[in-house]
Amino acid sequence: MNFPLYKKEMKGSWKLLVIFAGILAMYICVIVSMFDPELAQAMAQFEELMPQVMAAVGMTNPGDTLASFLSAYLYGMILLVFPMVYTIIRANGLVAKYVEQGSMAQLLSAPVKRQRIVLTQLAALFSGVVLLVAFCTALEYLSAQLMFPGKLDLSQLLSLNGGLLALHLFMAGFCFLCSCIFNESKYALGVSAGVLSVSYLLQMLANMGGRLENLKYATFFTLFNPNGLLEGSGSAWGGIGVLLALALLCSSLSILVFCKKDMPV
Amino acid sequence: MEMIAVNHLTRDYGGGKGVFQVSFSIAQGEVFGFLGPNGAGKTTTIRHLMGFLKPEGGSCSINGLDCWKNAPEIQKSLGYIPGEIAFFPEMTGLEYLNFLRSYRGLSDTTRMKELMERFELDARGKIRKMSKGMKQKIGIVAAFMHDPQVLILDEPTSGLDPLMQNRFTQLIQEEKERGKTIFMSSHIFEEVEKTCHRICMIKDGKIAALDDPQTLSALHSRSYTVTLPEEAAALSFARDFQGTVEPQNPRQVRLTARKTLEEIFLHYYGEEEK
Repeated sequence: MNFPLYKKEMKGSWKLLVIFAGILAMYICVIVSMFDPELAQAMAQFEELMPQVMAAVGMTNPGDTLASFLSAYLYGMILLVFPMVYTIIRANGLVAKYVEQGSMAQLLSAPVKRQRIVLTQLAALFSGVVLLVAFCTALEYLSAQLMFPGKLDLSQLLSLNGGLLALHLFMAGFCFLCSCIFNESKYALGVSAGVLSVSYLLQMLANMGGRLENLKYATFFTLFNPNGLLEGSGSAWGGIGVLLALALLCSSLSILVFCKKDMPV
Repeated sequence: MEMIAVNHLTRDYGGGKGVFQVSFSIAQGEVFGFLGPNGAGKTTTIRHLMGFLKPEGGSCSINGLDCWKNAPEIQKSLGYIPGEIAFFPEMTGLEYLNFLRSYRGLSDTTRMKELMERFELDARGKIRKMSKGMKQKIGIVAAFMHDPQVLILDEPTSGLDPLMQNRFTQLIQEEKERGKTIFMSSHIFEEVEKTCHRICMIKDGKIAALDDPQTLSALHSRSYTVTLPEEAAALSFARDFQGTVEPQNPRQVRLTARKTLEEIFLHYYGEEEK
């Protein structure tokens, strides 16, 4: 890893990180505060009124512990979609955008191996994702301790967010691979954002149940099963293992592609 | 010693674009000019030398190292000014230069400061808002600040005002005297003519001419013999038009019309289009 480059990229990430952390902080605080039985009833009414919509974003069967409540209301959409958008933007900005602008030439015309350049960029991307998930974990725990002391089981929260991190690392790896393959931002963004949002859409349709449920086999979001993680089910952790393996695969492929490719800069 | 070697370098982009069987070699300490119209393959050749592109055919090497396989090793003592300068626009010029210095692992700032003074560069502003000439100056400082042995310069003076072009030519002269190997593509004929030991002209991806400026212009010179009625008239004619009197026949005067590099360039590229 090249440290000056890493520092530069983290500096380039922080504004975006702060924005996304702000959005997530707002949602997390609101949802945690809704664990209040009265407010929870309001959510239950929503569910009666629009069962399909609530099911699509995974907001069903909130359960009676704070962890399962959060798993229903945060881990079906908010904690999936917002970090995903961050990843898509940043992954593009770390490679494809430089190649398109031509500034990649500056990084290549120095005694730094391509492998080191790409590893540094990947590390910067993963660091951002880790920071976002760590921030969410800390905030969830803190706000739960403040509003409902002792109600949130830390080990359960860590299981949920460990799984969430694996999911986001896979998405980051995939977006990074797109960024390394394409020389133009529009293609890198198009393919990465396209594949991820279609996968999420399929997940929403599958959540609505009925015949559509089989769509769950067509999207990687199925591999992240928050309720299964809370129950400690083996298959849920197996899914996390697969996500991590896929993240590793995408990362290795990105490095390979970046080291072999022609740079039109 | 051979510093830069290009052997049968080929890259076909289709539609006649690319470079085809390009070969030349540059000795250590030589200043090599690379001329050609837009789209002739100058930048493609340079991208191969920089290790950005993998040759489809042939090979190129710098200091005996393969440009594609050993790019990081070569880059240790190589300075490069890209034809299209694109830095990180969100940085200020100074931030950029300091970033590049630490990225290269260079701690000494004397050379950087010296170059900034020489080009009267005030790099405190954001790169996004800089003019072409300002960016070019930053590119020059970035390429020379680690005192490289080999310089690859793609149209280094574009965007510079005449005063700065002059300072740049001086810098090249100094580097030349210090024994640096310089590969320079340019559109400014005087600059190439004055500084380069040899000049290569490339057209449609193929080498059209390659020689030193004197030979090139001699090659394209025309000689005329004018016969005058008397010897005295021949003498004064020769004096007025810088001709030479033929020793065998004192009434005949030989005139040579030397072409400038620019005219030779137009001979290779311009006239065919008409």
